[in-house]
Amino acid sequence: MPPKRSVKRLPNLNDQKGGGVIRPTSSSSFRTSFLHMAGLALLDALALWLVYSLLGNGAGTAGILVLVVTGLVNWVFLSDRFYPIRWLTPGLVLMLLLVVYPLVFTVYVAFTNYSDGHILSKQQVVEQLQRRYFQTPDAISYQMTVYRSPEGGFLLFLQDPQGNTYTGTEEQGIQAYPVGGEPPERIGPYQKLSLAGTFQYLTELEKIQVSGEGFQVRITGPNKARQALAKYTYDPDRDLLTDNETGKIYRPVGGSFVDNEGKPLPDAPGFTAVVGLDNFRRVFSDPQIQGPFLRVFLWTVTFAGMTVLLTFSVGLLLALVLNDNRLPLRTLFRSLAIIPYTIPGFISILVWVGLLNPYYGPFSLMIKDLIGVSPDWFSNGTLTKVAILFINTWLGFPYMMLINLGALQSIPMEMYEAAELDGAGRFAKFRYLTLPLLLISVGPLLIGAFAFNFNNFTVIDLVNEGGPPIVGTSTPAGQTDILISYTYRLAFAGGRGADFGLASTIAIFIFLIVASLTAFNFRFTRQLEEVMR
Amino acid sequence: MSKSFRTATLIMIASFLLGACASPAAQVPAEATATTGAAPTEAVATTEAPAEPTATTPPTTEPTPTEAGATPEATPTPKPLASKEGTLTIWVDGGRVQAITDLGKQFTEAYNVPVEVQELGFGDVRDQLKIAGPAGEGPDIIIGAHDWLGELVTNGLLEPLDLGDKAESFDPVSLQAFTYNGQLYGLPYAVEAIALVYNKDLVPEPPETWEEMKEIARNLQEQEEVEQGYVLQQGDPYHTYPIITGFGGYVFGRTEDGSYNPEDLGLDSPGAIAAAEEIDSMVKEGLLRKDINYEIMMTLFKEGKSAFFLGGPWTLTDLRSSGVNYGIAKIPTMEQTPRPFVGVQGFMVSAFGKNKLLAQTFLTEYLATDEAMQALYQAVPNGPAWLPLRETLDDADLLMFAESAADGEPMPAIPQMSAVWESWGKAITIIFQQQQPADQAMKDAAQTIREKIAESQ
Repeated sequence: MPPKRSVKRLPNLNDQKGGGVIRPTSSSSFRTSFLHMAGLALLDALALWLVYSLLGNGAGTAGILVLVVTGLVNWVFLSDRFYPIRWLTPGLVLMLLLVVYPLVFTVYVAFTNYSDGHILSKQQVVEQLQRRYFQTPDAISYQMTVYRSPEGGFLLFLQDPQGNTYTGTEEQGIQAYPVGGEPPERIGPYQKLSLAGTFQYLTELEKIQVSGEGFQVRITGPNKARQALAKYTYDPDRDLLTDNETGKIYRPVGGSFVDNEGKPLPDAPGFTAVVGLDNFRRVFSDPQIQGPFLRVFLWTVTFAGMTVLLTFSVGLLLALVLNDNRLPLRTLFRSLAIIPYTIPGFISILVWVGLLNPYYGPFSLMIKDLIGVSPDWFSNGTLTKVAILFINTWLGFPYMMLINLGALQSIPMEMYEAAELDGAGRFAKFRYLTLPLLLISVGPLLIGAFAFNFNNFTVIDLVNEGGPPIVGTSTPAGQTDILISYTYRLAFAGGRGADFGLASTIAIFIFLIVASLTAFNFRFTRQLEEVMR
Repeated sequence: MSKSFRTATLIMIASFLLGACASPAAQVPAEATATTGAAPTEAVATTEAPAEPTATTPPTTEPTPTEAGATPEATPTPKPLASKEGTLTIWVDGGRVQAITDLGKQFTEAYNVPVEVQELGFGDVRDQLKIAGPAGEGPDIIIGAHDWLGELVTNGLLEPLDLGDKAESFDPVSLQAFTYNGQLYGLPYAVEAIALVYNKDLVPEPPETWEEMKEIARNLQEQEEVEQGYVLQQGDPYHTYPIITGFGGYVFGRTEDGSYNPEDLGLDSPGAIAAAEEIDSMVKEGLLRKDINYEIMMTLFKEGKSAFFLGGPWTLTDLRSSGVNYGIAKIPTMEQTPRPFVGVQGFMVSAFGKNKLLAQTFLTEYLATDEAMQALYQAVPNGPAWLPLRETLDDADLLMFAESAADGEPMPAIPQMSAVWESWGKAITIIFQQQQPADQAMKDAAQTIREKIAESQ
């Protein structure tokens, strides 16, 4: 197998950048051009169909966005000037859509009060409040029979408890029906509907407005109606909401309708509003967040760092052993070592939690037989951390083994031969040849593994839900919580349910931390790489 | 020349493709009309047939109900079925989907209203409603648990319900559970609460008092007949609540109208602390053990290695198939009658459905009847909330669970519970692990919860 040093050679590719762009020659075949056009047309057709359905669903902004992006893509493809980025555009568009847009949205949410109790828009809250009714003390309940005209108009035949009868239509309102008695088969053009026959028209009946003098008739069932009045009136010009029953006036402040004393409207949902830096202020002032932050941060770094170190060491050791030609049944061992990688993490974690149970777990019982005590895996903070690192190492070493196996193959054998000629022993060869050369190609993956484990919520939450608890504090953090699981506890087990605004704010901070750590790591590996040159 | 050729080709192909794509979409309204239009002529033979059956629903309001319009059957699609005018859309979890689909068919036959049923995961029903409801793509009716109310009502996702005279036929505890801020939001149909499950081979007669039960557990453990006489899941507030109330504690006090009052937290009340100390002393004595989860609890009991646990009707299937000689009894009396949390399942009307009046009518006029409630019970046997049905019930186990539920109180649905579960669980874990005196653990938990509630207001 020819030695591959792709990682080292990659930067050289950039040298070609200045060499000018290869443009299509005029002899480029008609067929290629036609295929390009067909592809673009297909894309446009799909985009237009998407815009059509988005607009139809009332998602106007998204529709216009798709339209604009499609226009830009067309421009890039049809203009010769943009030839260099022509084939990059799909990637760029996807990156905008899948990376940049969620990021921008997260930042936006951090500045809002988007949380349980504030998920609707203001307009939706107003619409909902305008549907509320109240009843005056002397409001009457009616027995109702519905009539329908061939044109689809409705007439309500109403009987009050005293036996007085009325008719009600949207156009003419409530009128006395002097004939009285049982509802007749027909009233004018209107034909009586049976009770069962009324059901299919309920959705239409829900919309009709029948008013009498000083009240409205509200249909409450297929044969019931009662007098009621609208509870709230909203004045869009002055942005004020009036309670018609009490006369109180409410104005929208910070995502709720509040009265003059600042008390929110009872029994009404709030709405999403931009609240500026409130969430950021909370992160910096709330003792529940501030208190354990350093402790959680240190454990997060330890956890991610130790995980990478342990998985890498175990993986490397196995890779070295399995890379040795003298080992019989290498393929079998290699396959066996990959098994932990192929089982879904959440299953193997739960299995390990069972195996480690101090009373019933076979693994713990084995330790008990050996040393006489069963370790308190899930009650003792330090032991829980050991258990988490152990489980995570078990989950992660096959990956490290695989990439090390690949990287080992790429180290040219001549170098070892040269080292042997220079009199290097086995350890020296590993220390001065294998390890440094491996780190060059594996280094970026180790950084990736670090960043991934920095946010490895699954392991932390499944092993012991971040526990055992820190005794004597009011923070929701447990002893093994990392930043991301701590964020989850802060944001979703708060005083009023989920708080996406706060969660986004903390996520921004975590992003900054991970980004700076990664930047530092990259600089470190680059130095390593330069040393090796 | 090349440019104009390109543009011409582009326009030609685009229009061709668009034409091809657009035609199925354009057909949808026609199909929708066909389905709604065909139904009246068949079913309304009993009553006067409307002159123009197709005018029932204006089909143009919904431009893209491709899946919805074409498939009246419940097919799990990535995007759940959305409410549309004139058709009842119901979201339900897998366990009950068949029963609801059958009921829906009967409703369509009797009242000429199409019903569409969408199957979703139990928790997904709530989570999807939160997203799809405000976007105008939610259902008309959902089926779920009463403790969703806090989250759903504060978010403005549910429509109030008026049961009228039918309210008398429902278990009062179940109605109370579906009441939020003095307003009813759901039609209950099943009531669940935990009771004492005991092994009849080890314990012929169920204990009546807590002390008796402890005595039996102690003896069995000393004679090494069982590994653990009584098992309780570690750090699990739900199963601890009967002990808290048995010693006179509470979680939230009540306001005058009977709803829970977030200002009055009782986790550090003398009764709750007495209960915590009881758990503490049982742990010290070896009558309770830490690191027990649901699976271990069930395994121990099914293998005859434990004599008692507190469990709900959801354990019945497992118990019956295991062959263990189990019995169900009321939770033994402590200083007071222990009151377990009651969970209630029921139907709720979405505030963003397009057929709110129809949905409410479906619940009050059609579901609140003996036949519908019987059908629901047969699909998923559970303590019925419909009292006439409960009277005819002959499943002794379920009756015992229902009796236990009658002592209970509805699990608080107020949004503040999310803070309570977390800190309360932490306190119970600390007591199980003996890391702090019991009273201090409860006081710390109560303090944390108060801070969280204060901060969120």
